[in-house]
Amino acid sequence: MVKVGIPRALLYYQYYPMWKTFFEGLGAEVVVSPPTTQATLSSGSSRVVADTCLPVKVFCGHVLALVEKCDYIFIPALRSVKSKIYNCSKFLGLPDMTRAVIPECPPILDIDIDINKGKRRLYQAIYSLGRHFSWNPLKVRQAALAAWQAHHEYKELMVNKSLTPPQAIARISGAETPSQKTDQPAIALVGHPYLLYDELINHRLIHRLEQAGYQTPTPEMLTTEQLETGVTKLTGRPYWTYEEEVVGSGGHYLESGVDGVIGVVAFGCGPDSLMMDMVQRRAIRLKTTPFMSLTLEEHSAEAGVITRLEAFLDMIQRRKRKEAKVCA
Amino acid sequence: MRVSMPHMGNLYIPLKALAQRLDLDFIVPPLTSQRTLSLGVRYSPEGMCIPFKLTLGNLIEAAELGADTLLMPAGSGICRLGYYYKTQEQVLHDLGYDAEIICLGISQRKLFGLLELLKHLSNDAPWAKIISAFRFGLAKLNVLDRIEQAVQKVRPVELVKGTANKLYAQAIKATEQADDFQALKRVQRDYLEQLRLVERDENAEPLVVGIIGEFYVLLEPFSNLDVEKELGRLGVEVRRTIFTSGWTKFSLFLNPLGVNEKDRLHKAAMPYLKRDIGGEGWETVGEKVLHAKDYDGLIHLAPFTCMPEIVAQNIMPSTKENIPVLTILCDEQLGKPGMLTRLEAFVDLLKYRRAKVKV
Repeated sequence: MVKVGIPRALLYYQYYPMWKTFFEGLGAEVVVSPPTTQATLSSGSSRVVADTCLPVKVFCGHVLALVEKCDYIFIPALRSVKSKIYNCSKFLGLPDMTRAVIPECPPILDIDIDINKGKRRLYQAIYSLGRHFSWNPLKVRQAALAAWQAHHEYKELMVNKSLTPPQAIARISGAETPSQKTDQPAIALVGHPYLLYDELINHRLIHRLEQAGYQTPTPEMLTTEQLETGVTKLTGRPYWTYEEEVVGSGGHYLESGVDGVIGVVAFGCGPDSLMMDMVQRRAIRLKTTPFMSLTLEEHSAEAGVITRLEAFLDMIQRRKRKEAKVCA
Repeated sequence: MRVSMPHMGNLYIPLKALAQRLDLDFIVPPLTSQRTLSLGVRYSPEGMCIPFKLTLGNLIEAAELGADTLLMPAGSGICRLGYYYKTQEQVLHDLGYDAEIICLGISQRKLFGLLELLKHLSNDAPWAKIISAFRFGLAKLNVLDRIEQAVQKVRPVELVKGTANKLYAQAIKATEQADDFQALKRVQRDYLEQLRLVERDENAEPLVVGIIGEFYVLLEPFSNLDVEKELGRLGVEVRRTIFTSGWTKFSLFLNPLGVNEKDRLHKAAMPYLKRDIGGEGWETVGEKVLHAKDYDGLIHLAPFTCMPEIVAQNIMPSTKENIPVLTILCDEQLGKPGMLTRLEAFVDLLKYRRAKVKV
């Protein structure tokens, strides 16, 4: 059976169930790289120039982990999924860049996803991808429709059951995952899924918050309308493809009555440097919800993250006690 | 309405001429200086690129002088540039300036959008006046760039170092003062002639270095610490594809008609980078492939954390076409002595390489 490798980084968290259904529908076997380790990160950063952003370094590490384990690697160039809204350069050039920095990489399946070029081009791109596995256009169509269906189910699962992407992926493949407790105080996490759910680069942020007795709502648990209203409130028309994850969810959570919001950004991320600033300015103006921005990079030591997290949680506790006193 | 716009190289000269002819109250922000940079750095989000910081500094300094309508280039599908104005507007408001930012959506509306904007800004001036003013502005832009191209050729071979730069500074002033087409023509003729007569080393075969990379840092000498002048002093002839006049010609007039000057570059880059990645990333890779044979080396200028240029920088070493490339990342931390050391080492390497090829 043909093996298709999918790196567990960047777009994996958004589209994995869709891609898996598509490739399996065409009779291929899907191989996912193992979760990020220090070795993944180091091997990835050894290949690219120093000022490449952290998520791309992690991505290269995952591609390296898949070398010789599969026949193809699937790396789409995702330009735009909404009209006139574009993606970061690094996503656009991802297949070309991977080919350049990892010459030993198996053949890359790269397709351009660009809504602005019209439906026909999009369908052509999907067929050209399917042609690697089947000559039969109907089979490709069937697989694509099933994949689309799977994507919707995945999204709904996260919104309705308040699951994080890794939990939802586990549940789709049949494993039981505990649902989040909803009676605890909440600290919302705002940021791209590849930062929030990669436990190595964020030093198990979600786990730490849960240990401290907080539930952690994330952008994936919001409906599209909630995200869109969030963006409209802060910046008007969105400009980036993933603006909703940051500006949208930030705008929503800052006014949703959670106890605190943590904005997670990667060092060197171009769009984030602007988007998180928008959220931060909003937080300063509103003065209702405590906000902390946490920058992740390959050198950030665990102790530093813990210290900042503890200080933030202490501040929230103190604020609550003070409010309780005033009320009494 | 007091209008202003951030600096980019000498662009303020044509803009000022254009505004004068339309009786616009146009404020030229103070020339980009250390203060501009400090202001920009101070109020920018962490991790922003130098074009954002410098343009923000310009906007703040313009607002200090009382500008209330600020023009800022933007557009979709390019890079962070499209988002600049949203953040800059908030920064200005948080600082207490009540200025409105108008975004120049150059990438979509082309020439007509620009003319309509001028009509709006000039309180409905007659079209004839707008078009004649626009033509005059363009003429100044062209003169400036023609003189600069001549200066680039003279710098490496002049006998008395610094003559070309002196003439260039005078030419900029003269162009700024020229107030009709006739005078402008005279300025161009005069200075091109003077540059032609500069005493030069007839036997010199200067090294040829291409300057490639991001648009703003190429065109704003303050941001790249005058890298072209320094190379000229080291006896290196620079070649640059991007000029403001050329860019205006294509993006405003010819691109809408279907002529694309960049097709050649894109085609050259195809084997290594198949798609547009925003900014000048695609062109950067294309220039390397295209000019590997005819230049001695390339200097790649990019702002620190520039997204398209990082992709280009990652791809460039893998091309079959081989040519030495020195990447200089421009930001507020770039120091002149450090840059000079790197330039000198690079030029030495190129000299050695050329000598080896000859043998």
